[in-house]
Amino acid sequence: MRFFIRDDAAAASAHVASYIVDRINHFAPTPAHPFVLGLPTGSTPLGVYKALVEKYKAGVVSFENVVTFNMDEYIGIPRDHPESYHSFMWKHFFSHVNIHPSNVHILNGNAPNLEAECVEYEAKIQAAGGIDLFLAGMGEDGHIAFNEPGSSLASRTRVKTLAYGTILANSRFFNNDLDKVPKMALTVGVQTVLEAREVVVLALGARKALALQRCVEQGVNHMWTLSALHLHPHSMIVCDEDATLELQVKTVKYFKDIEQVARAQGFEQILPSKVRTGPATVPATAVVPTTIVTDEFPAPTIHSPQPTTSRLLRATPATEYPLRSRSPSPDLTTPRHLLRATPSETEYTQDTEYTADSRSTTPDFMPDSMASRTGDPALLRRMTPNPERQRSKSPALVAVPRANGIRV
Amino acid sequence: MPSAVRSASPRHNGITKLTNCRLVRGDDLVWDDVWVSSATGKIIRSQSAFYDELIMPDEVIDLGGRIVSPGFIECQLNGAYGFNFSTATDDMAQYGKQLRDLNKKLAQTGVTSYIPTVTSQTSDLYKKVLPYLGPSGSSRRPHDGAESLGAHVEGPFLNPTKNGVHNPSVLRVASSFADLEEMYGAANLTPPSFQGSKPPTSGSSSSPEIPIKMITAAPELGAMTDLIPALTARGILVSIGHSEATYEEASAAVSAGATMITHLFNAMRPLHHRNPGIFGVLGATEQPHHSHSQPDQAEQKKKRPYFGLIADGIHLHPATIKIAWHAHPAGLILVTDAMHMVGLPDGRYPWTNGEGEHYIVKKGSVLELEGTGVIAGSSTTLTTCLTNFLAATDATIPQALRAVTATPAAMLGVAGIKGCLDAGADADLVVLSEHETDGEVGRRRELVVDEVWKFGVRVFERS
Repeated sequence: MRFFIRDDAAAASAHVASYIVDRINHFAPTPAHPFVLGLPTGSTPLGVYKALVEKYKAGVVSFENVVTFNMDEYIGIPRDHPESYHSFMWKHFFSHVNIHPSNVHILNGNAPNLEAECVEYEAKIQAAGGIDLFLAGMGEDGHIAFNEPGSSLASRTRVKTLAYGTILANSRFFNNDLDKVPKMALTVGVQTVLEAREVVVLALGARKALALQRCVEQGVNHMWTLSALHLHPHSMIVCDEDATLELQVKTVKYFKDIEQVARAQGFEQILPSKVRTGPATVPATAVVPTTIVTDEFPAPTIHSPQPTTSRLLRATPATEYPLRSRSPSPDLTTPRHLLRATPSETEYTQDTEYTADSRSTTPDFMPDSMASRTGDPALLRRMTPNPERQRSKSPALVAVPRANGIRV
Repeated sequence: MPSAVRSASPRHNGITKLTNCRLVRGDDLVWDDVWVSSATGKIIRSQSAFYDELIMPDEVIDLGGRIVSPGFIECQLNGAYGFNFSTATDDMAQYGKQLRDLNKKLAQTGVTSYIPTVTSQTSDLYKKVLPYLGPSGSSRRPHDGAESLGAHVEGPFLNPTKNGVHNPSVLRVASSFADLEEMYGAANLTPPSFQGSKPPTSGSSSSPEIPIKMITAAPELGAMTDLIPALTARGILVSIGHSEATYEEASAAVSAGATMITHLFNAMRPLHHRNPGIFGVLGATEQPHHSHSQPDQAEQKKKRPYFGLIADGIHLHPATIKIAWHAHPAGLILVTDAMHMVGLPDGRYPWTNGEGEHYIVKKGSVLELEGTGVIAGSSTTLTTCLTNFLAATDATIPQALRAVTATPAAMLGVAGIKGCLDAGADADLVVLSEHETDGEVGRRRELVVDEVWKFGVRVFERS
């Protein structure tokens, strides 16, 4: 996770806006190769929208080939209600830039079948090739979109009931009349956000400090849904000084140092180039090659990282760029099949001695000890506690070769 | 295959977005965009157009922070550019042509709608010219220029002692509605669809069926006050003017349905502290009088009339303007009372006034009936009136603009269609730039008409 701390809200917003503009421009979107942007509403991103509009007006960026997906929308208030997120987006962003209305997607809170609307929304995201960058804010309770505490981290676009506290807080926008406040909303799920190729979160102000601390310094926790960000390979949090109030000095210093050192080295903390440009270099024919070289196996390497979330949560993996052009079945079965045929894989038996060569390419869940890595069988025998007992008790574990943690 | 739709829409929808501008909204200048459609001639609801019809504007115009006001509405204009509405021509086709020329030129001053004013004339002349002066906006052709919302007949049922430059010999007293019909022509007064004495609903009050929109009359003469309900029932507004009316008489006229005062202070009794006259009705409270037993009467009484004010710098002292403004800000309508000499060089111009030959001498913006010293209307523009009004009062720019847009629109029953920038209103706009100059008395705020839009099309751009 990249974590940037700026002096104030304006600087943090400007940083995010500049980052988005750089991403779009480097991506060089075209009608056939649009940049797909996920967008939030609320008070936090206002500064970002303002800066984006300014940059558009200054001619620094164009939204002509940008496709957008919004996070959420209320259920049951008219679309043109001043507090609807359609109105918000129109007022603060869409009306000021050259985005085409056909490229704008916002959940319809007045759809006759809300469930179908959600399913269709996910399908639209897929059809657009997945989201390249999801911009998000964060609630005081660490929620992302309307995924309030306790939401499943594997959730997808769905109907969500608002918490009473949220309804109370929102009533100030509805003449303090609780009856007028929407009680339900449509929202993308945590998993929908995590499937974006990149997630950028902006957190501003002291009121967000506790949630930020939970999400940055603590582990993945369903009560602070934004913390699921740790499962994403390309996430980024930008905050102002006020939002760091609850963080340890060590944490703040660590991330500031990283940024400083990186800058001193002339190194930008950016995405792998493949993610940054998208499939621009993929030939127009986009024919799926019949043989795939094994080094393209999407192992978590620096050049082609795959989010572990997908495997942990048993959901479709967030697709990195090569997948967009390989439309038929862009899953991982093909490389696995090739791996299985690889003759170098050894049949492990009780008598097989461990050598460096005998290790699986991805030795997840392998019984392992430091001794096994030395390559000296004598040493192994001596340093493994109760080696005989271990071998006899769990023959299956050592006998079955595994690739990438999956039984083949 | 994912794809983005190109924003350059191949089909032209005639929509223009004006951006980076300050819109007059109520008493505020609001940074916002306005979308106008040349296809419908209206201001469109941009958010709905975007989400529902997936429309993007054909053109985006950056106004560089200038002010966008609704088009000006002029309620007292006697003629311009040498053409006098009250002068019939031998060949009336020529009258129509001159009128169309005037409309085009008038639009360049920011006036997008007006009620052409005919002074006190003989019956023959009214019957001749009124058919030409009726509402002209139904065709919605932008390049026709300024649009008539109906004629304003100023006379001839006026008080001879307050005739101004109207010829006293043509002034009459009405004792019955037949007198009015005889004077103006029944077809000019009564719509063919007129059913009874019920006043029309506010939406239909701008009847396109008859040319007359407003009549200025002296309510104290003859049966005029009693005739007011018959006029308002036909969608005709009644304005008090050229009158000796006392406070009581003026109040009675307002109770009867008069909703306007023609050029307040001019051609009427001055304010007297024991009888405040016509001006006094602005001091009436707008609350219903509980002492009145009849609720209808109380209902009508609570509304104070609108009033025209000639802020040409000659007709009224700045302090007078300010007093009137503070007396009833929501009723103030700036008018020019400009004569046909407006837009012409200085000199001596013939003035046919019913009978006899007179001359009006134009010197700068001052018009005088030759040899009398009587002010004969003005030759000013509404923009100059705005500047004078801003100098005379502490009004903000949107408050001043309201006096030539929203307030006259409300007076004429076309609120929401004219005089505002709300979605659904006609796209008649004026783009103004603000200038501050150092005058003799401190800073002077001035507005300059840069662009004029009619029905969603730009019809004038200052070079």
